[in-house]
Amino acid sequence: MALEILPDARALRSGRRERALAQMEAHDLDVLVLGRQANVRYLSGAPQLWVAGTRPFGPICAVVRSTGEIHLNSTWDEGIPDDIPHDHLYGLAWNPMTLIDVLRGIDGAATARRVGTDALTPSFAKLLPMAFPHAELVDGEIAMRAARRIKTPDEVAALHGALRVAEDSLATAVRELHAGTTEQTLTGVMLEAQAAGGVSTPATQDGAWVTSREHPWRRARSGGRIESGDLVAFAAGVLADGYVGEVGRTWPVGDVDASALYDRWNGLWDKLAAACTPGRRASGLLSAYEAAGEPLPPMPVAHGLGLGFDSPVVTPQLRATAAAEILDPGMVLAVTGYVWQDGVGAIFGREAVLVTTEGPEVLTSSPSWSHAGVGIG
Amino acid sequence: MTTFATVDSSAIDIPDLPDLTRMYRESGARLRAAMADNGVDALILLGNGNVVYATGASWPLLDAGLSHVERPVAIVLADDKHPHLFLPFREGASSESRIPADHLHPPLYLEFDEGVEHFARVVADLIPGDATVAVDELTGAMRRAGDRLFPGGAPSDAAPVVGAAKLVKTPDQIACIRRACRITEAAVVEVQKALAPGVRQIDLSAQFVRRAFELGATANMLEAIWQVMPVSKAEGTWTTHGDLALPLLTTERELARGDVLWTDVSITYNGFCSDFGRTWLVGDEPSPRQHAQFHQWRDILDAVLKVTKAGATCGDLARAAIAANGGRKPWLPHFYLGHGIGTNAAEMPMIGTDLGQEFDDNFVFPVGMVLVLEPVVWEDGTGGYRSEEIVVITQDGFVSLTDYPYAPYGA
Repeated sequence: MALEILPDARALRSGRRERALAQMEAHDLDVLVLGRQANVRYLSGAPQLWVAGTRPFGPICAVVRSTGEIHLNSTWDEGIPDDIPHDHLYGLAWNPMTLIDVLRGIDGAATARRVGTDALTPSFAKLLPMAFPHAELVDGEIAMRAARRIKTPDEVAALHGALRVAEDSLATAVRELHAGTTEQTLTGVMLEAQAAGGVSTPATQDGAWVTSREHPWRRARSGGRIESGDLVAFAAGVLADGYVGEVGRTWPVGDVDASALYDRWNGLWDKLAAACTPGRRASGLLSAYEAAGEPLPPMPVAHGLGLGFDSPVVTPQLRATAAAEILDPGMVLAVTGYVWQDGVGAIFGREAVLVTTEGPEVLTSSPSWSHAGVGIG
Repeated sequence: MTTFATVDSSAIDIPDLPDLTRMYRESGARLRAAMADNGVDALILLGNGNVVYATGASWPLLDAGLSHVERPVAIVLADDKHPHLFLPFREGASSESRIPADHLHPPLYLEFDEGVEHFARVVADLIPGDATVAVDELTGAMRRAGDRLFPGGAPSDAAPVVGAAKLVKTPDQIACIRRACRITEAAVVEVQKALAPGVRQIDLSAQFVRRAFELGATANMLEAIWQVMPVSKAEGTWTTHGDLALPLLTTERELARGDVLWTDVSITYNGFCSDFGRTWLVGDEPSPRQHAQFHQWRDILDAVLKVTKAGATCGDLARAAIAANGGRKPWLPHFYLGHGIGTNAAEMPMIGTDLGQEFDDNFVFPVGMVLVLEPVVWEDGTGGYRSEEIVVITQDGFVSLTDYPYAPYGA
C-alpha cells in the first residue's frame, strides 16, 4: 500500500492477461464474464473494495478474447489502469437488467458463441442469454484456474510482499502471548499489526486458538482464555496488493513438555517439503503424512496461493484430484503440518512453498519454538 | 411476501443479549415458511450470509478469494426443523450445540468435479428426486453435474426465498445487530479520539480492528473507509455519473488539518452485521457552512424518520428525503437513501436505486425490518455531510439502534 490507490504494475498485469487470454483460447471462450474478486483483479489489475466472505455472482468484469478489451464494474477511475478507458467502466447497479444492458452493448457480445462465467446464480443463468443471444454459457472458472495456477515472476514478488506482512503480524501477536490473555485479543493484535504494516484487508480472521488436549482439533475451551500449559496456534493471513500471504506457527505458554511433539512436527515437515518437488503428484503431500505416521489433519494439507486460493486443494476428500495434479515450477503452495498428542495439544504450522525447477523453496521464515528456547509466559 | 407477527407491534422487546437457541429455532421457522410460500422443498445454500442465517453458524469470515473453497454449505429441507451443515475445520464451531450430530457433516469441495461427485450422492440421500430445489450459487463443477444434482429439473434461485425470510428480524437477531453496533461504536470512540493531523488513514483502521476484536467482534466485514472528501466535485475523482466517488480505499496517507472524512466500518457479532458512518473533521472545528451542511442532513433524516413506520414504502421515504432537500435526491447515484441489514451488510430493500420507482412504491415495510438510512448532502467547499442511522421498523414508527454522537458537528 502507498499514499494513493494505484493499479497493479504494467508487467504484472500484462503477464497475467497473457496467461488468461491463452486459457480463453485453449478453452474456446469468446468472452469471460467474471464475478469473483480474484479473477477480476487478475484480469483488470484494479484494486477493489474488500468485503469479507463470499458474494453472489454478478458480472463485475467482462473480457473479450478477440480484442483483449476489458470492461469493468467501477463507478470511478481511481486505481483503474489506463488500458481500461472511461467508456469501458460501468457503475454500481442494483438492478440486474442494468448490468445486462451494459453487457449487451459490449463489442463482441452479439456474436459470441461461447461465454464463460466463473460462477453463476439461477437468475443470471436466465438473464445472460439476453446479453449474449448466440452464445452457449459454460464454466469459465476452469480456464481461470488454469491461468492462475502458475505464477509469473512478478506474482511471486507480490506474494513475497504479502508473506512479509503476514509474518510480521504473526511475530507481533506471538510477543503478546501470555497466560491470561485471550484468543480474541491476540487476533486483534495480529490484525492491528497487519493494518499498521499497510494492509487492512485480512485473508483470514481466525488469528489464534488454544489447541485442545482432549480432541485432535476442537476448540479447547469457550471464552478463549489462554492458560499456562497451552499450545497456542497462530494463523496469519493477509491480502496485500490482492495476493494472499499465509503463515502459521504454534507456541507453548508456560511449562509445557512439547518437545517430542515439535520433533514429530519437524519430521513431518521434512517429508511435506520434499513432496513439493516439480514433477511429483500433489497427492504426495497426503502420502507425506502417511509416511511420517501422522493422521491427516482436519484442514486441507495444502492449497495454492495467489489472488485468493489457487489449485490444487490437497485434502483426503479430493484424493483423485490430487493424484491427477502434477506440481509444476511456478506454483506456490500454503502447506500445513499438523500433529496432535493426547494430553498435550496440537502443533499447527503453515509455510508458503514455491515449486522451482531446483526443488521446493520455502518462502516463509517465521521463527518456531525450539528445544533451546523456553515457552512463553 | 411472507408476513410474521414475531415482533410486538407496539413496543419491540429487544433482549440485551441474544438467545441463540431461540434465534436458531425462529430463523429456521421463518426460512421454512418462506420455502412453503415459494413452493420450494429444499434449499442448497453456499453463500456465507445465507448459511449463517439458515444454521446459526458464525465464524471469522475469510477473504472472498478463499471463502468460496473453505466454506460451510447448508441444505434446508421443508419438513425438517434442523438444517444439514457441512463444515470446514473451525468455521461454525459454536453452532454445533444446536444442530444435532446427524445433521453435521464433513466439508464439501464444490469447486471440483470430485467434490461434486460426492455431493451428488449427498443430495440423492437427502433430497427426494422429484423435489423442487432452489440454490443460491452454482459453481462450474456443479453446472457440469447439473443432471445428477438436480434430477427434477433446473433449480430456481434461492435468493428470493432467503430474502423473504430475512426481511423481518426476530428480537434476537435485532439484539445481535445492536450488539454489533455497540462493539463498533465503542471501538470507534477511541479511533475518533486519535484523529489528528499527521495520523495515517491506515492507523485508524489498525486501531479500529484491534479494539473491535477485543470487544468481541466475530469478524471484520469491510475494509474500513476514512475517505478524505474533495474540495469540490470537479476536483474529486472522476466518476461515471459526474457525482462524488464513494467509498474510495484507505491508504497510508497522512491526514491534514481541515480534512473532512466520510467514514464507514462494519463488523459482525454472531453472524449479524453492524454499519457505522459519520462525518469527521481533522484537527478543526466546523465552520458555519459546515454546520449548515450537518443541519441540512439532520433535517433530511428527520423528514425521512417522520414517515418511517410499518406500512410505509421505500417510495414514501425517498419522496420525503427529496422534498426536504429542495427537490434533489440526497444520496449518491450509485447508492441509495437506505438499505436493509442482517447477515449481509446490505440487504433488501434498497431505497432509491435503479430498481426503479415501481419497486420503491411496492415495497411495503413490515414491523421488525431493520433499515440503515444514509442520506448525503454536498456543497462545494464544505466536504459535505454523510452519516448512517440504523432503525427498526415498528407499528407506529421506529426504534433507533445507532447510539453515537455527531461531534464535531451539530449542537
